[in-house]
Amino acid sequence: MNKLLALTRIQLKDFFSKYTQQLNIKNKFLGKLMIFLPILILLPVIQIIKQLYDTFLLIGYPELIITYVYVGATMLAFFMAIPLVISIFFYSKDLSLIATLPVKEDTVVFSKLASVYVYLFGMGALLFGTSVVFYAFGDGFNLFYFLMGIVALLFLPVLPMIFATLVIMPFMAVIGGRSNRNMMVIIGNIVLLAVILGIQVVFTRVEMDPASLQKMVSQQDGLISLVGSKFPPSIWLTKMVRGSLLDTIWFLLLNLGFVVTLKLFAKRLYKNALLKYNQQSNTGKKGVIEYKQSSKKMLLIKRHLGIIIHNPTFLLNTVMTLFIPILLFGIYTAMGIMSLETLRNPMLEPFAIFIFIGIIVSPSIVGSLSATAITREGKAFWETRVLPISAEENISARIQTTILINGFATALLALGTFWILPLGALDILLAIVAAAAAIVCFATIDLIINIERPYLNWSNPTAAVKNNLNIMISLISRIVLGGIGYGLYKLIPDLSSRWMIGIFTILLLAVYVLGRKLVYGRYKQKFIDMNI
Amino acid sequence: MLKLKGVTKVFNGTKIAVDHLDLDILEGEIFGFIGPNGAGKTTTLRMITGIISPTEGEITIGGHNIKADAISAKKQFTFVPDQSEIYDAVKGIDYLNFIADMYEVNIADRKERVERYTKLFQIDDALTQSVNSYSHGMRQKLMICGALLPNPKIFILDEPHVGLDPHSNKILKDLMKEHCANGGTVLFSSHVLEVVENLCHRVAIIHKGKLIACDTLEAVKHNSTSSLEEIFLEMTKDE
Repeated sequence: MNKLLALTRIQLKDFFSKYTQQLNIKNKFLGKLMIFLPILILLPVIQIIKQLYDTFLLIGYPELIITYVYVGATMLAFFMAIPLVISIFFYSKDLSLIATLPVKEDTVVFSKLASVYVYLFGMGALLFGTSVVFYAFGDGFNLFYFLMGIVALLFLPVLPMIFATLVIMPFMAVIGGRSNRNMMVIIGNIVLLAVILGIQVVFTRVEMDPASLQKMVSQQDGLISLVGSKFPPSIWLTKMVRGSLLDTIWFLLLNLGFVVTLKLFAKRLYKNALLKYNQQSNTGKKGVIEYKQSSKKMLLIKRHLGIIIHNPTFLLNTVMTLFIPILLFGIYTAMGIMSLETLRNPMLEPFAIFIFIGIIVSPSIVGSLSATAITREGKAFWETRVLPISAEENISARIQTTILINGFATALLALGTFWILPLGALDILLAIVAAAAAIVCFATIDLIINIERPYLNWSNPTAAVKNNLNIMISLISRIVLGGIGYGLYKLIPDLSSRWMIGIFTILLLAVYVLGRKLVYGRYKQKFIDMNI
Repeated sequence: MLKLKGVTKVFNGTKIAVDHLDLDILEGEIFGFIGPNGAGKTTTLRMITGIISPTEGEITIGGHNIKADAISAKKQFTFVPDQSEIYDAVKGIDYLNFIADMYEVNIADRKERVERYTKLFQIDDALTQSVNSYSHGMRQKLMICGALLPNPKIFILDEPHVGLDPHSNKILKDLMKEHCANGGTVLFSSHVLEVVENLCHRVAIIHKGKLIACDTLEAVKHNSTSSLEEIFLEMTKDE
């Protein structure tokens, strides 16, 4: 087999096998089915594309869906490509093997990009592919539009992926063996999140504002040019799908140009970035030796905190999930969708306490830290198993670490928001009690999930905290509890907000007591019997 | 066959890991590379195999410079690293097929060699299983099988005896001897001095990045009755 194909094949096999293994599903068929899990997550986006298409159809320019979604998908692909390129080129463990093989540098670069391509193609198929389907099937099936749309989809990842590679590689070569590499991953991911949310906001705004679209339509073919003016390939692509040969040539030439550019720079990128970055380094720095005595519990909590803090993926994931409401608020404020005044609106006053609780409890709702408290330790889990500590101490240190982190995030959010909303002292106190109940409840029941599904044999940290099915089960537990709370609200119509929160707090505490009984009872034995 | 001339590796501009190393490994010999932990053995092997670049000096393998003529140089050897970090989500046979494709081993040869080596190392039954279900020793055996598969001119191994059971260690030693008998060269690093003493035609001792001895065992021992272990401990003793 051709070396490029062989190298690409093994990397893709490894990539897909890891993806299904990361989900920690024992059933083989279910594991394969889980490849399509992202479709579920993107269902709301597909709905937005449908509404967007309807809007464009209404104003007589259905092809704008192609232009618009292509621009969005390309932007998204670019920012998705950044962490992917960093992860696959710089954090991958296979470089030591590849570096010894008799293969050309450009073969290594292109084969490594194959898995990035597949990932971006999957995203493109969900976003841009959906728009192609709506466009080709919208007004009676048009086979030509459909086929050209597929061609466009196949080319979609090429520009953002190569552009991201050409941007990232020289930068990584500059930072070389320094410690900034972890910072890059964090920055890349923050940018990615901001872009995802930004695109969503832009989509929503266009969808909500057909009047301004109508105004733009007044120009001949001006709408496509206007939408695509910041990114001309989108104009060529739209016209290519509609059958313009000249625009097809432009679009294909552009893609070819990027491929050739990457091929020209591949050798330099491999040597200056990849190889240089992966040099084993030894700083030879000597630290200060300290001898301190601490309690076992304190040491265990410090150990669990250290596992999060010293791993950029864990740290990023924790920070991002804990402060999602603040990030969302910041982005929405920047986009002009929301402001502090919105929260102070008198119409919202009866719901202020609910909004406040929603904000301060959000770290516990989306954090799910206990659901991966054992998983995060990975192959180092054996360490606490051989220490002279009881299973109770081992379990409670994990729960307390989650409580500590979530409690800290809740306190920060409470301090940052209580003065914005129209709340009385009793409301604030009640909200804090409810938040405390939520923190201990979720920290406890999530650990049961992790004991049930430990998954320690992960090969990259993202697998431990993002793709693990534990997170989804944990989120489902919130939805179930939230559903029960909403059911109570509906069943007892004349209940005041304070009573409502009081009842919900009791419910959370009851679940906590039950969870505690389980985790230190039946699940303690499971924890002891856990296979490593 | 393998020449190192003034090879130096400096990390972060200050830490000298390997200091002006000169080596000349001949065709058909088993060459042992020994030294204490952190002496520079792995760094040297990583430079020879092209994983990292030397700060100074030249490395040629079969007459091909590892930097200037990398692909031709890499076609001369295969490498078994000290850490078994390979594609672990694929099946054992997928990994071996991948290595065979990289070194352009034809189907008939690959079938014959895969069957022979995996049977010898007793991992033939595990080839259809995912590598991440393998034990450390099994991974090591798979990597050795992969490295033997292309029948390279030079077989380079970093601490190959770690993690192998006595049976597999014996097989590996026999295969090394067989490889040399057929005109091949073996270069390996090891802490197991007994293996080095019984197997190698020549040994090199590296200490704090510098080559402190490189000769036949008899010459290194200065024809004394001391064991290699005693000589090694004496030579690498810090004042």
